[in-house]
Amino acid sequence: MKRLLGIVFFFGCIALSTSSCDVIDEPFKGSGTVDTTSTQQERNVFIEDFTGHRCKNCPKASKQIEELVTAFGEERIIGLAIHAGPGNFTNTTTDYPTDFTTTDGKAIQNFFGTNFLPVGMVNRENYTPSGNSHWSSYTNWPTLSAEAMDSTLRIALEVSASLSNGTLSVSTTALPQVNIFHNLDVTVLVKESGIVSPQLQPDDTRDEDYVHNNVLRGYVTDVWGESIGTAPIIVGDELTANHSIAWDNSWVKENSAVVVYVSHPDNYRILQVIEVGID
Amino acid sequence: MKKALLLSAAILCTFSSYGQSQESFGGQLHGNFQLDGQWYIRDEKIDPTGEFYPDERFLGQGYANFVYTQGGFSSGLRYENYQNVMLGFPEGYRGEGITYRYLQFKQDNLDITVGNFYEQFGSGMVFRSYEERGLGYDNAMDGVRVKANPAKGLYLKGVLGRQRFYFEKSPGIVRGMDAEYNLGEVLPKLDSLGYRWTIGTSFLSKYQRANDPFLVLPENVATAGVRTQLTKGPWSFQTEFAYKANDPSADNGYIYKDGNGLISTLTYSKNGLGLIAGYKRIDNMSFRSDRNGSTIDMLINYLSPTSQVHTYALPALYQYATQINGEEGLQLEANYKFKRKTKLGGKYGTLVSFNYSAIRSINKDFVAESDTTLRVLQGYYSDPLTRGSIPYFHDFNFRVNSKVNKRLKLTGMYLNLFYNQSVLEDGLGDEAIIANPDNQRLMSGNIFIAEGLYKVKSKHYLRVEMQHLSTADDRGDMAMMLAEYSIAPHWFFSVQDIYNYGNPDVDQQLHYPLASVVYTTGTSRFQLSYGRQQRGIFCVGGVCRVVPPSNGVSFSLTSSF
Repeated sequence: MKRLLGIVFFFGCIALSTSSCDVIDEPFKGSGTVDTTSTQQERNVFIEDFTGHRCKNCPKASKQIEELVTAFGEERIIGLAIHAGPGNFTNTTTDYPTDFTTTDGKAIQNFFGTNFLPVGMVNRENYTPSGNSHWSSYTNWPTLSAEAMDSTLRIALEVSASLSNGTLSVSTTALPQVNIFHNLDVTVLVKESGIVSPQLQPDDTRDEDYVHNNVLRGYVTDVWGESIGTAPIIVGDELTANHSIAWDNSWVKENSAVVVYVSHPDNYRILQVIEVGID
Repeated sequence: MKKALLLSAAILCTFSSYGQSQESFGGQLHGNFQLDGQWYIRDEKIDPTGEFYPDERFLGQGYANFVYTQGGFSSGLRYENYQNVMLGFPEGYRGEGITYRYLQFKQDNLDITVGNFYEQFGSGMVFRSYEERGLGYDNAMDGVRVKANPAKGLYLKGVLGRQRFYFEKSPGIVRGMDAEYNLGEVLPKLDSLGYRWTIGTSFLSKYQRANDPFLVLPENVATAGVRTQLTKGPWSFQTEFAYKANDPSADNGYIYKDGNGLISTLTYSKNGLGLIAGYKRIDNMSFRSDRNGSTIDMLINYLSPTSQVHTYALPALYQYATQINGEEGLQLEANYKFKRKTKLGGKYGTLVSFNYSAIRSINKDFVAESDTTLRVLQGYYSDPLTRGSIPYFHDFNFRVNSKVNKRLKLTGMYLNLFYNQSVLEDGLGDEAIIANPDNQRLMSGNIFIAEGLYKVKSKHYLRVEMQHLSTADDRGDMAMMLAEYSIAPHWFFSVQDIYNYGNPDVDQQLHYPLASVVYTTGTSRFQLSYGRQQRGIFCVGGVCRVVPPSNGVSFSLTSSF
């Protein structure tokens, strides 16, 4: 028995040591860019980036989204900066005067349960009430985005948004690509980019000309969405929804966009997301 | 064995309350239980906007362990609940469930565990799975562990499994082996010469699937270590060296540089004199079963600190946390007990202790960002013979314990602290500090502590503590006073107050009072407290977690059988 144990251990060591380490000499995969010319809709990626203007590591997360947009295109990667979290990261001060926080953003942060920044969710995958797998570090967003983009599109979206007489109107059509046997919710929101306001930087300095992008401004629907379809939803169905909201004149229309996503009402998983400009 | 398994399964399914250790089905059943809770009180002084005031008003959490043993067989489980997790603990703990369960048997020189287990190789620099409930830290393995003793003096361990990640599992698989050889058991001559000598080696690899669109990530990452311990008479020397292959991660900024670590300790103990000299140097030794992990999540290894852990309240505000990306530390400790009935020892003897620990960055020569590939592959070069330029921490302290008479014991202590807040709280990296050294937040201060323990009468004890922190940095000067009165074996009363009278923000010159009552009966203990907790921040690897201020009534119930 003892000799057998020794032999097993010896060969176990050899097997483990020879097969269990990958040494990488060339870290980069090609250029990292992909063909973005396809006209057929594919599954897009919605990254909710929980951030704060006094959170020094948060610009790294924003930069990660920019790199993903550069690589995969702005149609495929849709970022949303939700300023919510501990007050010492998000509250205003004399040095950081702009209040980016929203009641809805705080509600999302509270519901999904985190209190550190930066952190995010990619298509709200893997949510469970007692789990944490729906949260991800910005360093993991490339992997999660690639996996999401590789998955099957289950429902396509067509969206138009226009601003008229101080009212933003959003029209949504959802087209199932496969049969879906659960209800569907639709959520519509407004985000704004190009906002210049101070941001704490990773080296602990303050960049007063920092450009904040993808900032959550408000929800056109309820923050948890509204029903757009009841199971069973089959290929050939055409689900439509129209929503409107009074435009807030502090938002710059030219820098704003409307984001629409459809999700599973029970596990909050986002099946498809699309971003459109405002006419 | 089948019978034992069936019996244990039946028992595990039918647990009920027990007041003491139970004999069941020929075996022994043990257990322990803890429940903590706090009613939070809105306190505008420490939390003006109410952002830390929980919606639940009351938060509670607890656990219970049950262990059944019969001969070489044992099994157990732990139930945990968080409704919801209390402020200051990792928020990953959400919900309730059985988080730890195992079956274990020993026969034929084999010790086999299936399910959850804790284990350690050497000092832990290669692998350590353990639990620290006070921190909310638990990286228990879930898998298989085999321990064997195939030859005299040779002890083998093998582990395979995944680590706990709150109520889930880490995405990476951990597999490793450890061998330790006790030469004294094989070479009796060593033993007869007074030597005890062990040598050991560890190897561990993690596997995590990679699908990054930009980077070629290693899915298998290995680490290995060698160690030895030699003891003769009052002297003991132990050292361990570990090497880790390329492991790009969120901790190291996704560089592919290999890592290494060295820990050495020399001790001497004889005739009331104790000496300890410790040295540690770690370079890029963060090792997790999820390359995207942060804070205290899914750490595979353990990098022991080279600083003294303080239990006094004011020094505990500025504790050192190991910097897993790289640090170099030195610790010297000496204590001597002056014999009784001598000039310095007095009637009952006097213990004098001295401790010095200093930790700083390792030398790092960063690759220019313009050299993109080398920057990612290597990150930086480090010369182990050159000291780093950034001081992280130092603690010089001197302590005297003396028994004045049969009723009174006195302790006096002085500490000189230096604490780099930018590194230890804000998570600022070496490169940013080197580029802009004037931007560091540094704290240095002196702490004086006086403590007295007085035996009032039989079973009645009074303990008094006075502490003072003098510093012009951070939150400024603080004074603390504590009084405890215990009536053995049942009652314990305590009141304390920390007054932050030197806070540069006048509105934050606050008192932080705490009062507690503890009642103990048998193996059960109930504690009720009211108090105010200071606000803090906890950062690791660039990700920060706020330890919020709080005010409220808390209770704790522990029991075991």
